[in-house]
Amino acid sequence: MFAIWRRFNEWVGRVRLDRELDDEVGLHLELLEEQFRARGMSEAEAKAAARREFGGIAHVQESYRDGRGLPWLETTGRDLRYAMRGLRRSPGFTAAAVLSLALGIGANTAIFTLFHALMLRLLPVSRPEELVNLYQTGGWINGHSSYPLYQEVAKRTDLFQGVVTRTDAARVRFSERPNARENFALREFVSGNYFEVLGVKPALGRLFTQADDRVPGGHPLAVLSYASWRNRYGADPAVLGGTVLVDEKPLTIIGVAAPGFHGVQVERRTEVWVPIMMAEMPFKSTHAWWLQIMARARPRIPRKQLQAAVNVLMQQHLAAAYPTSYNAAFRQRVMGQRLEVRDAGIGLSMLREEFAKPLQVLMAAVGMVLLMTCTNVANLLLARGAARRREIAMRFSLGATRARLMRQALTECVLLAAAGAALGIGLGFWGTRVILRFLPEQAGDPLSTTPEPAVLGFTLAISVFSVLLFGLIPALRATAVPPSTGLRSETGGSAAAPMLRRVLVVAQVAFSVVLVAMAGLFGRSLFELRSVDLGFRNQNVVAFTLDFPRAWRGRDVRAPYRQLAERLQSLPGVFSVAYGLPGPFQMGSASASIRVPGSARTATEAVDVETAYVAPRYFETIGTPLLLGREFDRNDTAASPKVAVVNEAFVRAFLPGEAHPDRRSLSFDDSKPEGGERTWIVGVVRDIRDKSIQQPPKPTVYVPIDQEKVAYPPTMLVRTLLPPVALLAPIYGVGPSIAIGDFGTLRQHIDDSIFEQRLLAGLSGFFGVLALVLAAVGLYGVVAYGTAGRTGEIGIRVALGARRGQVVGMILRDSLALVSVGLAIGLVVSFAAARAVASILYGIQPSDPPAFVFTAVALALTGLAAAFLPARRAASIDPMRALRHE
Amino acid sequence: MSTREAKSDILQGTLDLMVLRTLGSMGPQHGFGLAQRIQQISGGLLDLNQGTLYPALLRLEHRGWVESRWGVSGHNRKAKFYEITTAGRRQTERESEDWARTVNIMNRFLSLAATE
Repeated sequence: MFAIWRRFNEWVGRVRLDRELDDEVGLHLELLEEQFRARGMSEAEAKAAARREFGGIAHVQESYRDGRGLPWLETTGRDLRYAMRGLRRSPGFTAAAVLSLALGIGANTAIFTLFHALMLRLLPVSRPEELVNLYQTGGWINGHSSYPLYQEVAKRTDLFQGVVTRTDAARVRFSERPNARENFALREFVSGNYFEVLGVKPALGRLFTQADDRVPGGHPLAVLSYASWRNRYGADPAVLGGTVLVDEKPLTIIGVAAPGFHGVQVERRTEVWVPIMMAEMPFKSTHAWWLQIMARARPRIPRKQLQAAVNVLMQQHLAAAYPTSYNAAFRQRVMGQRLEVRDAGIGLSMLREEFAKPLQVLMAAVGMVLLMTCTNVANLLLARGAARRREIAMRFSLGATRARLMRQALTECVLLAAAGAALGIGLGFWGTRVILRFLPEQAGDPLSTTPEPAVLGFTLAISVFSVLLFGLIPALRATAVPPSTGLRSETGGSAAAPMLRRVLVVAQVAFSVVLVAMAGLFGRSLFELRSVDLGFRNQNVVAFTLDFPRAWRGRDVRAPYRQLAERLQSLPGVFSVAYGLPGPFQMGSASASIRVPGSARTATEAVDVETAYVAPRYFETIGTPLLLGREFDRNDTAASPKVAVVNEAFVRAFLPGEAHPDRRSLSFDDSKPEGGERTWIVGVVRDIRDKSIQQPPKPTVYVPIDQEKVAYPPTMLVRTLLPPVALLAPIYGVGPSIAIGDFGTLRQHIDDSIFEQRLLAGLSGFFGVLALVLAAVGLYGVVAYGTAGRTGEIGIRVALGARRGQVVGMILRDSLALVSVGLAIGLVVSFAAARAVASILYGIQPSDPPAFVFTAVALALTGLAAAFLPARRAASIDPMRALRHE
Repeated sequence: MSTREAKSDILQGTLDLMVLRTLGSMGPQHGFGLAQRIQQISGGLLDLNQGTLYPALLRLEHRGWVESRWGVSGHNRKAKFYEITTAGRRQTERESEDWARTVNIMNRFLSLAATE
C-alpha cells in the first residue's frame, strides 16, 4: 500500500524528479570530467571520456523513468492521447460511433431504471426476502382484507414471525402545525407492530409499538418519514411532541423513521404514519374489506405449505363470516376468495402487476438495440481498420508488438464507450422522464430522487460489455496484418474483412427485423384498441373528483356537487354538466344482485349486475344517445318512485326480444323470485365501455344518484370547449380548501387506461426506427465498399455495353441479398418473440399478417435506400476512367 | 526489447548486491562516489556503465533497502546521498549467503570438470 502511495507521489512529482535526475547525472559527469582532467586530459577529451564512462544518458533516463512512478498509467495516458488524436482526425466516424453507443446505452439505462425500481429494488428493511404480502383475490376488489381477518392471520405465530396490517398510502389534508397553511401529504395507517416487524429504526424519537394498537380512536400519534421531516420541518429535532393536523385531526409527533424508508409501496412515498386505530373504520366487521396484510414468514417453511395453511385459515374465516343465509351466487363469489402469499421483499406495487410483462419485453428490446449498436460500431471499426492497414503495418515493421497495438486499438474503443456511456446516462435519465410521462398520474412515481448506484453499475457493466463486444474482434482483425503484405499492396489480403462485415450486417438486419416486427405488432395492437367503439363521445369532456373538508363531508357529499354543477352549467362555453359514481374510466366498480320480474334468467336465482349512480344529464354529458325512454331529471329524487336506466346488454340478458323494456321493472330486493320493491326502467342506453377499452360491457343498471346512499365522492363531468384550466377558478369558488383529484379530460383518462400499450407502441416504434437507421448505415457501408472494389469490373461491363439499369440492378441485388438473409433469420426469431408477447397484444394474433408484411416491406425499402447512393455512383462510372484507374 | 531485458536481469542481481554491499561498508554516498568505490573494489575488472547505477538505486529504494536524501557534497555541491537501511542490510546478508551457495555449487561442478 505504501509502495503504491509512493509510486503515485512519484507520478505526481514526475517533472521535479526528472529535473533531480538531471542534477544527479550532471554532477556525476562533472566529477568524472574533473577526474579525467586531473589525469591530464584536455577539456574536450575529458568530456568525451566522462560520457563514455557514464554510458548512454538517454538510456539511463528512460529506464529510470520506466522504473519510477506509474509506468502503466503513463502508457495509458499516451494511448489515450493517441486514441484521442485518431478520433479527432475522423470526426464522422467518431460521431457515428459515439452517438449509436449513446443511444444503445441510454435506452438500456432508461428502461433499466424503471425495471430496477419496479422489479428488483429491495425495501430498506431488515431481511426483506422474508416479507410476504397476503393478497386477497376472487372477491369484488382484489388485495384487501377485513380487520378480523387480519387478527386471525396475526395469531398464526407458527407460520409468521410477525404480521402487520396497513392501508394504502392516501393523499390527505396536512398541516405541519395547528393554524399552518393546509396542504396535502401521503398518509398510511399502520398497525402498532409495523416498524418493529419490518425492522425499521427511528432516526429520532420513537416509533409505534403494540401499545399503540389498543383502543379505536385512542392513539392520536404520528410518525414522520425522514424525507418529510427534512422537507417540511427543516430537520428540526424540536418537532417531537409537537402537534400536526393529519386529515384535520390533531396528532402528536412521536418520532421520525429511518432515512430512506418511505413505506412499502413502490410508487407512493408515505410521509406520515398514523396508528390504524385512528382510522374511523369498522374494526369489528368481517364484511368491510379495507386493509392490506403483510407478514414476515418464518424461515424454512416452504411456500407451498404456507399457502396451504393460509388457504385453510381463509376458508374457515369466510365460512364463519358469511353464514349460509346469503343467496347462492353471492356466497359462491365470497367463498371463492383466497389469500395469495406473495413475495413482498421488493415492496408492493399496483403498477407492477400490469406493467411487469411490458417492462420485460422492453428490457429484451433494448438489449437487442444495444447488440445492434455494438454490431454497428464493430462494423465501423472494421472499415476503419481496413483503412488504416498501412499505418498498422508500418508500426509493426517499426517494432511495435501486437499486444501493444491491441492495447491501443482497445483504448480507442474504451474512449468511444466512455463517451457513449456519458452521453447515454444523460439520454437515459431524460428517457426515464419521458417514460414516466406515459404513466397515469394515480400510478404515482416509482423512482426515488436519489441516484441509484445499481443503475449506474448496470450502465457501467453494459458499457464494458459493449467494448468487448464491438472492440475485440475489430482490434484482433486490424492487428492481424502481416507487415509485408500490408505495406506492399493496398487491397491485398482484405477479402476476409468484407466477409466478416457482411456477416455483421446480416446480424444487424436480423436484429432490426425483430425490433420492427415488434413495433408493427404493438402498433397494430394499439390501433385495434383505439378503434374500439366505446359507445360514447369522449372528446371535450373534463373529468375530476372533489375532496371536501371534514365539515362538509359530514353532510351529504352530493350537495356541494349539485351546487358546483349548477355554477359550471352557467359558464359560457359549457354544454352540460353531470356527475356519477363510478365515473367513466375511474377506479372502482359497484354491483348488485337483482331480480327482473318476468325474466327467465332471474326466475330461479338472483343475478349480479354492474351498477352506477348518475346525476341528471349524465348520458348527454358523456355523449351517448338514449335508445329508448328518458334520462334522469331533477324530479327523480329520494321521494319519487325508484327508477333506473339499463344498457343493451341488460336487455339482451334479462329481457330478450322485449320491444319496450322501458315499461318493465327490476328489483334490488333479490330475496323472492319476483323481487320486492319495484324499480321502474325508464330508459335504455347503448352499451358503453366505461371501465376499460378491453372489457366488453356487462349488463348494467344506472340509478339516480339522488335515490341512493353514496359513500364516495362521485366524478364530475363537464362537456365543454373551454380549456380544462378555465374551470379551476369556478371550482375553487365553491369553497376554500377544496381539493381536486384526477383532473383531466376524459380522453386523458382513457389514454391513461392503456398506458402500457401506448408506451410499448411508442418505444418499440422508436426502437424500430432506430434499428432501421442502424441497419441502413451498416448496409450502406458494406455495399459502398463492395462497389468501390468493383469499379474496374463495372467499367469493363459498361464498356462492353451493359446498360446503366443493369449496373444499378447489380448493386441493388447485392444489398437485397444481404437483406433477405437477415430477413429470413429475423422472421424466425420474430415469430417466436411474437408468441412470447401474445398475452399483451389486443385484438390481433401474434402472427398478424399486416405487421409482418409491414416489417418485410420496411426492410426491403431500407435495403434499397442503403444501396441507392452506391448504385448511383456505380451507374455514373465513366468506363474510360475506371479502366485507366485499373 | 525483450532480449535486452533478459540481459539486464542477469546483471541486476549482481549489481544490486554490489551496491548494497558497498553502501553497507561505507555509509551515505552519492552516485559518483559509489561508482568510484565499486570500480576500485573490482580492481578495474568490471566494465560498468556508471549511469546504470541510477536505475538500480531507484529499484533498491522502491524495495525499501536504500534511502536517499539531498545534501551537500565534499565539493560543496548539492548531491543526492544514498544510505543502506536495516532491511537493506538483512537483504545483503540473505543475498550474500545465496551467492556464496551458488558459487560453492558452481565451483564443485567446475572442479569436477577439471578432474574428468
